[in-house]
Amino acid sequence: MSGLPILTLLVLLPLAGGLCLLSLARRPGIVRMVAVAFALLEALLAGACWLASSSPRPPGAPQGFFLFADVPWIDALGIRYTLGMDGISLLLVLLTALVTVLAMLVSWRSIHERVSLHFALLLVMESGIMGVFLALDLFVFYLFWEVMLIPMFFLIGIWGHGRHIYSAIKFFLYTLFGSLLMLLAIIGLYLLHGAHSGSYSFALTALIGTPLAPTTGLWLYAAFLLAFAIKFPLVPLHTWLPDAHTDAPTAGSVILAGLLLKTGAYGLIRFGYPLFPEAARTLTPVVLTVAGTGILYGSWRAFSQKDMKRLVAYSSVGHMGFVALGIAAWTPVALSGAILQMVSHGLTTSALFALVGVLDERAHTREIGAFGGLWGKMPLFSAFFLLFSMASAGLPGLNNFVGEFLILTGTVQVAPLATVLAFIGVILPLVYTVRLVQKVLFEEEGRPLALADLGRRELAVFGTLAAGALVVGLHPLPLLDMLQVPVALLTGGMP
Amino acid sequence: MTGADIWIALPLLLLAIGSLLTLMTGALSRNEGAATTVAIVASLGAALWPLLPVPAGMMAVAPVSASLGLAATVLARTFTVFFCLLAIGTLVCSHKYNQHHGLSGEEYPATLLFATFGMVAVATATNLLILFLGLEAMTFAFYILVAYDLKRETSGEAGLKYLLLGAFSSAFLAFGIALLYCVSGTLALDQTMRSTLGSGPVPTVALAGWGCLLIGLAFKLSLVPAHLWTPDIYQGAPAPVVALLSGGSKAAALLLLLLLLPQAGDTGPLRVPLWGLAMSSMLVGSLAGLLQTRVRRMLAYSSIAQMGYVVLALLAGKGGGYQAGAYYGLAYGVISLAAFGAIAVLERGGCGPFLEDYRGRGATHPLAAGVLTLALLALAGIPPTAGFTGKFLIFAAALKAGEMALAMIGILSAAISAYYYLRVVTSLYFARPERTMAAAQGSLAENWVLLAASAAIVLLGLFPSLLLDLLQALQ
Repeated sequence: MSGLPILTLLVLLPLAGGLCLLSLARRPGIVRMVAVAFALLEALLAGACWLASSSPRPPGAPQGFFLFADVPWIDALGIRYTLGMDGISLLLVLLTALVTVLAMLVSWRSIHERVSLHFALLLVMESGIMGVFLALDLFVFYLFWEVMLIPMFFLIGIWGHGRHIYSAIKFFLYTLFGSLLMLLAIIGLYLLHGAHSGSYSFALTALIGTPLAPTTGLWLYAAFLLAFAIKFPLVPLHTWLPDAHTDAPTAGSVILAGLLLKTGAYGLIRFGYPLFPEAARTLTPVVLTVAGTGILYGSWRAFSQKDMKRLVAYSSVGHMGFVALGIAAWTPVALSGAILQMVSHGLTTSALFALVGVLDERAHTREIGAFGGLWGKMPLFSAFFLLFSMASAGLPGLNNFVGEFLILTGTVQVAPLATVLAFIGVILPLVYTVRLVQKVLFEEEGRPLALADLGRRELAVFGTLAAGALVVGLHPLPLLDMLQVPVALLTGGMP
Repeated sequence: MTGADIWIALPLLLLAIGSLLTLMTGALSRNEGAATTVAIVASLGAALWPLLPVPAGMMAVAPVSASLGLAATVLARTFTVFFCLLAIGTLVCSHKYNQHHGLSGEEYPATLLFATFGMVAVATATNLLILFLGLEAMTFAFYILVAYDLKRETSGEAGLKYLLLGAFSSAFLAFGIALLYCVSGTLALDQTMRSTLGSGPVPTVALAGWGCLLIGLAFKLSLVPAHLWTPDIYQGAPAPVVALLSGGSKAAALLLLLLLLPQAGDTGPLRVPLWGLAMSSMLVGSLAGLLQTRVRRMLAYSSIAQMGYVVLALLAGKGGGYQAGAYYGLAYGVISLAAFGAIAVLERGGCGPFLEDYRGRGATHPLAAGVLTLALLALAGIPPTAGFTGKFLIFAAALKAGEMALAMIGILSAAISAYYYLRVVTSLYFARPERTMAAAQGSLAENWVLLAASAAIVLLGLFPSLLLDLLQALQ
């Protein structure tokens, strides 16, 4: 089945929705409804893609892809508008559609100013992220990669708190620096491929086989890796993340943690390793080291945080370290685990940020010390808080456990030492999470706060996320089936 | 003069006669609105000229009139349309701006038209003398336009600086052209290039001529170290004039190089000076921009950095470089119009020169602030804008030509300069206005110009083929 209409719609529908919202600027009530309507429509489209996942490979598509679109765009440079969807893309597209709807519901009441701009930016960002997960032409990929940046910059800058201007600029410059170097590498690869084969193209399938001198390949890969590592973020390039998270509005944090961080990992899986297999192998020890460091460092820093949002942000650094570990191992089991962990982390961390947002909205503080005894006052909130904290700590039966388990299983043969270190990283989150849960939910509070429990809208958000966490945790097989073919193709295990 | 000659000279005739008519309309009716309308109609006529069929007996692709020293190649036609549209945009933006600043007189639109006449002359020239005359006609008009806001000291100061340094650079240009003429014995572009930068050894006199020419053009393009006039002029001149100066006069100076260099057998002797100009302009433009507290001065340094990229493209040369340079010159023109058109609207709404004065304008002037933001993102090279596609083309050409070091410097300077563009955006949107302000909005016509420029920025960015096909001759 040709994917042109549905994939293009998937990318452009939110953008159209965003433009539509801007014209409704004066009616916040309608704006919210229209925004969610667009996001739900997009989720339906993503669901329709799932139904199409069993359809045969369309003509011209690379192996493993069940939806594919390819039309010439800028002929003079050999740039084509190429989008494609395989199991990995599908999983992340579903995640994107889900998290965007939730981000909208989360900011339903907390945004009072420039409502239409806020929701329009969320939709534009969804377009950019969808594009990143679908692009199969490096130029198109880069385009979406950058487009994704701008809405987040505005979200943090306009609706953020604290040092939001500083954080917004820091976020932007960090990622821009990385992506500009990647742009040079993309051009370099394009020229080398063109000089070698005689036909200039940015298509991933064409560029994959380009023969490269070892040092050239290493430099090009390093530029890609830098851009992805900043987005990931891998220690020591992570310093933008705690600031961005702390100062972003709740919806911004949810999207940042749930989706933007995944684009770095996705880029490494889709482009980094396949384009430069040799260089990637050479630099694997480096990635393993920073991944291991990230796991330990993130947990260690999380332990000492007083601000709940910062705590969750640092725990993200640790969890994404696991994803990096799984990718670096590059075995089918570890890679499936890494992708599953991306989804799991997207669900769990989005939920945690949204929960912290709930507290922030009611009490106007995020200090761990300010809260206590919520179990009695906010039973529903506390139940969800406990559930997602335990999921984040990797409790068996919940989503994060599956990903971490697969990653460790898949990595142990390849890199035993890193696995052992990472195993310590499995235990550490338990320590700071239990401390957090104990303090916030069960200990006596210092200064009593009047807090209302979750409303119906919030209940819907967390209920959905909890269902997701449980399904992934208890019955991950359908998702793993979805990943099996593309992962096998990537790791070279299947003809 | 045959019919074909008249056809080739038609845009120049329209602009020159239009300029005179504008003066007369103003003098007879004492109505500036009418004078501006006449000027707009004249430049619209010139912009529509390429739609006329090429007269019989001329080559369809590259019609030349030897007796006039003019040619209407596809490149010339493209740039003519660009200059005329830019002039229309500037005229529309000027009307309200001038009223608000108490600037009056039909000589303003007439002079602006005369500047456009100069630019179009450069575009259609086939010999060095016409090139020089076109460039001088344009510069001469700008001497007046820059100093037009007589009540403000900064405008007068800017005018004087521009006059002195402009005269200085014109002298270099004239002397350079004279030296080249000495060597080649002809003013025709192609023959001059063959004898002064052929594939064989280059005579010393020719080298000296090229040196003088480059110094003169470095002034016009505001390349480091000949950039010192730029911040003052950007600061002092009326905002719409800066739009035309930044977008049009630089494109004209660039066009001079684009007419000459592609015809050279070997541009090797120029490599070192061009390399130095590109490097220093990119670095100084992006670093000094960081220190600015006034938005217009910051945009002046940005323009210095942008011209550095253009020189990098020229350095890359054949195989995409010249094409990328031309594309970027045109894209930069549109971006300038959008940026300074928006600034004109904001300043009319009571916005001062400093960064802090732009606080909260995103809420009070959504359209102007939005267009300014788009222009700044384009300057920073963020897709999907023409600024990104232009940079992409330039870096691709530079890497192809093996200019790895300069490309790295260019990327670095792009990353650095992104910071100061963001500061303006930050001011516009992330801060609250300090006091309530008179919210004079843009007029309908101004808004249309801003919207058209924004649309052009995005469309050129997404579909560069539309323009690249027209610039094919430079490939």
